[in-house]
Amino acid sequence: MIPVESEASSKDGVKIIYVAKENILQFLKEKKDEGFDYLLMITGIDYKDHLEVVYHLLSSKSGERLVVKAKTDGEIDSVTSLWKGANWHERETWDLLGIKFKGHPNLKRILLAEGWVGHPLRKDYPMEKKQYVNLKEDGDDTVSFEKKEGY
Amino acid sequence: MIRSHLRKRRGIEMQDKIVEVNFGPQHPSTHGVLRVKVKLDGEVIVDAQPVIGYLHRNAEKLSEMGYYPKAQIYVDRLDYAAALNMELGFVLSAEKLMDIQVPDRALWIRMMMVELNRIASHFIWLGTHGLDMGMLSPFFYCFREREKIFRILDEITGSRLLYNYFAIGGVYSDVTPKSLEMIKTWLSDFDKNLTEIENIFKKSYIYVARTKGTGKLSLDDTISYGVTGPMLRAAGKKWDLRKNKPYLHYDQINFDVPSQQAGDVYARMLVRIEEMHQSARIVAQVLDKLPAGDFYNKKYSKPMLVRIKATGESYIPTESPKGEFGIYLVGDGSAIPYRFRIRSPSFANLSAAPAMLIGYKIADMTATLSSMDPVFGEVDR
Repeated sequence: MIPVESEASSKDGVKIIYVAKENILQFLKEKKDEGFDYLLMITGIDYKDHLEVVYHLLSSKSGERLVVKAKTDGEIDSVTSLWKGANWHERETWDLLGIKFKGHPNLKRILLAEGWVGHPLRKDYPMEKKQYVNLKEDGDDTVSFEKKEGY
Repeated sequence: MIRSHLRKRRGIEMQDKIVEVNFGPQHPSTHGVLRVKVKLDGEVIVDAQPVIGYLHRNAEKLSEMGYYPKAQIYVDRLDYAAALNMELGFVLSAEKLMDIQVPDRALWIRMMMVELNRIASHFIWLGTHGLDMGMLSPFFYCFREREKIFRILDEITGSRLLYNYFAIGGVYSDVTPKSLEMIKTWLSDFDKNLTEIENIFKKSYIYVARTKGTGKLSLDDTISYGVTGPMLRAAGKKWDLRKNKPYLHYDQINFDVPSQQAGDVYARMLVRIEEMHQSARIVAQVLDKLPAGDFYNKKYSKPMLVRIKATGESYIPTESPKGEFGIYLVGDGSAIPYRFRIRSPSFANLSAAPAMLIGYKIADMTATLSSMDPVFGEVDR
């Protein structure tokens, strides 16, 4: 059994479990074996002094839901080995929040162009600095701060 | 394989070559701005990687910059084919977070409106899916039927596509007797008209031959990829949040959840069409049960200006036309959401695209992609 750091409840009555980030993969594997077969989404929250990774689980047999959270400083184990759907969700969390997932097969930006500077959902992301995207001949993106170099 | 065998027999010395084909982002059958990098061996797809993000606006960041009600216009523009279903996911989460009570009449009106919008959304899908499969006439029939729904929604909300109609604490305006009359007239021949369109698909030999057994996704893969909605039901699981975790007043209404076993394009078509019949059934029942009373919580005189400080977090899942949709809200004690995460069904559904495409012919690709019903406002957010 993996130790649980603390428990809470959300406003809609779903249990929230905090787990140490070293144990996250093992803990989610246990939960998956217990019947939480759906990984609905992976997301992150920037609390300025630390980041939090949030996993929403669902059991399609009982309809039960569970929220698992882990505090991190920007790196956590990937759960792509448990759910195939985790692949895109982790890429998105890396793209927008800058949380690295160790062991992810293809941790590249998914919504923004490759080469983008910064992670927009961080609270300290500079909103006034515009970045311009363009397309190279081979179909890859380029990003620049110069207005004339992109759109 | 066959090609290399033929070449050997004919004595042609040629190396088997994998050809890379770029599909989209500007292509009529991608239903938006999807790009797929496809690798082909002859006509068979050996690798397919969807590239998304061409419609990315970061609605999450924009929503985290204003008061709670202001986020609603961004939510509207997620799945623009079913804007009311998107609004519903938002207002339910926000009301839970702020502990706001909603009058009964508003809940019933909401239920009727999302079902009407679900039918409209499925009509767009059915029409464009027909177009992808080379059938031109169902497109016109579907848009004719969809137009009738838009007239009704226009009468009630004042807009045709992006409504901004639900509000935290109720709805913006009451339904008028005229609009209820319009819905009754529309209901009287809806099933007949839909069956007509349905038969064009079911009785077309070419359509059936092209879609049966195409784009299969097994139930295990469906769950592993987090796929929900009609695609999950077409793969053999009777799972509908309106039945399994009822919100609004769905527990007081009789309707069936359609499901199929095959998990292919044809099964998805059958499931969606049956869902439209069931949605019409729900609308008819709401008309009978619609109670009198307020249509918004009178405590908040102007819903647009609800500025309530909220703490904690909430996520209310709803069944949108594409699957499980909900907004994960985290409040920090101010009147502005601290974290605004959109769980978008199309994003999860599209991530399963490689599993559905690899091994099939390139000609089946448009069928499979359109059967997923991706809307890119919601995939890219």
